[in-house]
Amino acid sequence: MNFEDFQKAWQSQDASAQVTINAEVLMKEVRRNQQQFQATIFWRDAREVGVAIFLTWYFIQRGLRTDSWTDCLVGLTCFGVGAFMVVDRLLQRKKQPLASDSLLVCVQTSLLQVNHQIWLLKNIFWWYLLPLSAALGVSVAVTCWHELDRASQLAGWCGYAVVCILLDWFLYWLNQTAVKKSLVPRRRELEVLLAETGNPVPTSTKP
Amino acid sequence: MTASEQEAIFRRWLDAHLGLMLKVVRGCAAAPPDQDDLFQDVLLQVWSSIPAFRGVAKETTWIYRVAFNTALAWSRGERRRREGHETFLKFDVSPQSQPSHAEALPEQEIVAQLYAAIRQLPKVDASLALMHLDGLSYSEMAEVLGISENYIGVKLNRIRLQLAEKMKGATDEL
Repeated sequence: MNFEDFQKAWQSQDASAQVTINAEVLMKEVRRNQQQFQATIFWRDAREVGVAIFLTWYFIQRGLRTDSWTDCLVGLTCFGVGAFMVVDRLLQRKKQPLASDSLLVCVQTSLLQVNHQIWLLKNIFWWYLLPLSAALGVSVAVTCWHELDRASQLAGWCGYAVVCILLDWFLYWLNQTAVKKSLVPRRRELEVLLAETGNPVPTSTKP
Repeated sequence: MTASEQEAIFRRWLDAHLGLMLKVVRGCAAAPPDQDDLFQDVLLQVWSSIPAFRGVAKETTWIYRVAFNTALAWSRGERRRREGHETFLKFDVSPQSQPSHAEALPEQEIVAQLYAAIRQLPKVDASLALMHLDGLSYSEMAEVLGISENYIGVKLNRIRLQLAEKMKGATDEL
């Protein structure tokens, strides 16, 4: 048999005749899925923005009430980190591939997005862990300085440093594991797809 | 676009292009639960894409793009199982749905083997094979995939050989 025979057999099949679709249930499911998807996106964004707003409000109002500039500093840092996340999310949403884009555009856009996610998580120390740890560190140091004796000050600072290093290391490790286990394999898949379309893989994305 | 207009277009596309969507689904997923899962994703994406459809591209090209992009994203992502969803899709294997004439049976077998062979191809090649078997022109395939017609020509030569090789054993048995 040659390819034309395969093509003839292929085109003679009536794929849709072998399935029965309950149109009403289908419409209900499509609407339900659409609502579910929109709700998931909304609540994920609301959670991130909500936490940032709450922490900003909490520390700033506490700082103003107790006349503590260090609390205000923590509040402003929370605001900065939250604003960075929101702006990044909004910018990335604009660059999301559409399902109706050509496959090549879809792969290229997805690759850019995955690379951005990898960059974000690889640099989480600089935009998330360090600012928050430093602001909290200043707050702890000043509080210890004003309220404790010399020996307790040292114990307080050391205690904070140990907890902070362990927590930061754990969060950093968690994010790097996510990069390794989920994002890097996804990038590799996209690179294979891009290569299959005959387009060179950008050198910046090569591991 | 109002919701009722969107729904009307969706229903029309479903009537006209259901076969196309199912072919893509079967070409990308082998197990029935996976096919069901992917088919729902394709339908959802087709539904969501309707407001952006301006009629510049052909309906078939548009639906192919949405279906292929969804299939590629689906195989990359987690195989999500939708809990508690109502079943709207039933594959009909009753005797009434089978062809009455005897020579149609080998054809069905060939088609089944073709699906199996396509699923073994790399993803972009599988997309090309599906469209080529459906008789799309080079320019239509180029529009769906966003790659040049020349490159499609080169790839199709290779794909035809690969399919012929994979089908060799299968057709010998028939």
